[in-house]
Amino acid sequence: MGKFIALAVLAFGFASPAAQAAESWGLPNEEIVRFEAKVVDILCELSGDCPAKCGGGKRQLGLVNDAGRLILPLKNQVFFAGAADELIDFCAQRVVADGLMVTNRGNTFMALQFVRLAPDGPWKKADRFTGKWAARNGFTAKGKEAKRWFDHDPQVKDLIARQGKLGLGPAADKDFLGE
Amino acid sequence: MRVLTLAAMAAAALSTAAQAAAPERVQITGEIIDTWCYLTEIMYPEGSAHHQCAIWCAAGGIPVGIKGDDGKVYVVLKLGADSTSVANPGVLEIQSHKVKVDADLYVRDGINYLTVAKVLDDKGIVNLTHDEYGIQPFGE
Repeated sequence: MGKFIALAVLAFGFASPAAQAAESWGLPNEEIVRFEAKVVDILCELSGDCPAKCGGGKRQLGLVNDAGRLILPLKNQVFFAGAADELIDFCAQRVVADGLMVTNRGNTFMALQFVRLAPDGPWKKADRFTGKWAARNGFTAKGKEAKRWFDHDPQVKDLIARQGKLGLGPAADKDFLGE
Repeated sequence: MRVLTLAAMAAAALSTAAQAAAPERVQITGEIIDTWCYLTEIMYPEGSAHHQCAIWCAAGGIPVGIKGDDGKVYVVLKLGADSTSVANPGVLEIQSHKVKVDADLYVRDGINYLTVAKVLDDKGIVNLTHDEYGIQPFGE
């Protein structure tokens, strides 16, 4: 478990629960940023295919800043989770986004750590995925299942059961892991 | 006259916007990847070693991409008629696969976005990296 936590802090960035401003995760070329932007459905923004309510949380959401730049948030503050659940409640609204801008391998993208309705709404830590996942799957937000949601997600469990952890079938896992 | 001038300016602006938004039809060959792990290099992010993590990340809503054979990363926003891109079941099914896709490419502010019309070829997982890198990131 200690190894898990250490790796998680290193790899996925656990901000202190008390913190309100973004903090470093040690990512390549990262920059701590805070800016105002409009929350958009990226596919709508690019193609004009615009369902109601930004697609209801099933589409990738972006941030268009005052210079008109579309910023792609890849990550929130939860293990292995993205930013759509953090932004969907702000669809088509102006927010203050707080987090890290990262440039690597020719791409610039964002890790969202906090968000609030502009200009001065209450800050929301970008970890609401956990509670929403728990509600969608019949668990409690504070339960151990929600904490390690990726071990309990029905879509993940089905895929890993059929494809194996290596994606090469359960027999390949057995050979490799000796399970 | 002033109305006509304003109308002409508005039409010109709309025309420019439409031109800027026009996609390019492309065929891309590459590996389906998790964009976060690949672009941050926080762990080894490719092939069988990273498959389980890539499934976790896609199910958690992190954008799924294609690492093209041309070295570029393409963010997948649509697969066939399904315009969902958060935990899209069809995309999850082919995570880590080597594929060739026919798609519309939108480039905006340095990011390549794809709406995939069709997967033309799917070779499955051919990037067998687990012997060298184990199972990422926790080894199990």
